Amino acid sequence: MKSQLRLIMLAFLLMPAMTFVSSAQDSTQTEVNKKNLSAASGKTKMLLTGAGWFGFAYDNDAKLNFNSYGFAPVFLWKISDKLFFESEIEAPNGEFELEFAKLNYAINNYISIGAGRMLTPFGAYGEKWEPAFIERFPNNPIIPDEDFLPGGTHLNWGAIMGLDVRGRVPLGNSRLSYVVFVSNGPALDNSNGLIDYENLDDNNSNKQVGGRIGLLPFSNSCLEVGFSYEQGIAGNSEDSVYQINSEWKDYSKVGASAMAVDLNFVKSIPKIKSIIGLKGQFSTYTVDDAYYSVPDDFIANSYAPGDSTLYTFANTLQNYYAQFSFRPALLKNKCLKNIELLLRYNSLTEPKDAAWSEKDNNGAGGVVTRMDIGLCYWLNWRTGLRFAYESTTHVNGEQSNELLARFVMGF
Amino acid sequence: MKKITSLSIAIIFSIGALLFINGCAATEAVTAKSGAQIWGENCLRCHNAPDPVDYSDAQWETVGMHMKQRVNNLTEAEINKVVEFLQSAN
Repeated sequence: MKSQLRLIMLAFLLMPAMTFVSSAQDSTQTEVNKKNLSAASGKTKMLLTGAGWFGFAYDNDAKLNFNSYGFAPVFLWKISDKLFFESEIEAPNGEFELEFAKLNYAINNYISIGAGRMLTPFGAYGEKWEPAFIERFPNNPIIPDEDFLPGGTHLNWGAIMGLDVRGRVPLGNSRLSYVVFVSNGPALDNSNGLIDYENLDDNNSNKQVGGRIGLLPFSNSCLEVGFSYEQGIAGNSEDSVYQINSEWKDYSKVGASAMAVDLNFVKSIPKIKSIIGLKGQFSTYTVDDAYYSVPDDFIANSYAPGDSTLYTFANTLQNYYAQFSFRPALLKNKCLKNIELLLRYNSLTEPKDAAWSEKDNNGAGGVVTRMDIGLCYWLNWRTGLRFAYESTTHVNGEQSNELLARFVMGF
Repeated sequence: MKKITSLSIAIIFSIGALLFINGCAATEAVTAKSGAQIWGENCLRCHNAPDPVDYSDAQWETVGMHMKQRVNNLTEAEINKVVEFLQSAN
């Protein structure tokens, strides 16, 4: 395990080394461009941007709810050619959250370092595709949050507190982007095995490390494939020791790791006067073995030896989605060119023996799937109407269907 | 763990192969791309291509720095070309 982690981290650390080889070559053109750009007066440049949204849903029970509203201002400051600050406050449904507040410093053309609260550099969805004015559907793909995990969340994208080093390496006609980060790390709920990744205060002295590599093999950047990995100790270091059958166990040694593969393909096809897109992400999360409290009225499959108040389970969760989009953007018709048709398939596999996972009628865990069919009508490049019909098949075979709509205005 | 090891080796091998085939530097075809071409090829990957008239020259500079972080695969020279194109078209 340690040697494998070293191998992965060596791969990530090679990226900055390669950037130094390439950095000298672009310096002349960069100097020319800087002279042109700095002709504008003033040094500090600030921009307020972001999005607001409003939506409603109609579900199985024939309930029509105006169920979502929100406002997400993004504050961007260019302090100098190398120093940049960015921050977002997200206010979904009346709650206020500081989504990110991050200072970035560009060391050279190919490496920058950042610190603060930042969008988790894991996978592609959380950092790149989740903002309201980018997400074409009225909602997110299935993610392991409170909607599907009663009493907690296993969600590992959102925001982290830490440091990152990121950049890019030109590889001839191809490109490689990288980000390596260290953060406070995940927090294990010792009572049930759920994980909170947005850990503002570290619950132990161990830090989480991870990163993502993105490969763009074609010169027109139409395809990007990304690989992400992260690992850290999740258990609380306080009151962490417990005993099973005279053997001492320690929650502070329980680790959590996650891996993801993401893909993004976007291509303009003049023959059909359209732009097609294919996006997806597969993520898997694993928590080391530990014992947790048995809730009332729950019959576990694997009790602790000699102690029926504690049980264990294989704490692995997987989720993925795949999305196809089609937009006849090259048509002359002003209405048709702004319509984008969407299809998305989602899957969530929770730990089948966990007390908090969805169960079928026999008490066994399984897979939750959802099929989303959508349409987005763009009023401009960042403002539009989104409609979707979503059909969720739960582990017990029950289906819940919902019609969603959302108006998003970017500014 | 075996899957992660195999995947890691495959990724390192792919990077090594790309390095061997392409070398570390961008090709002339890539460096010769105009700001409009870079804008058209890259902005679409996440959101729609932005309208140049939406922001002032100074604001486009700030957007450029934000995109350099978010996109993470364009060089400073390429970002500057896109910003210059957007400034010229606003």
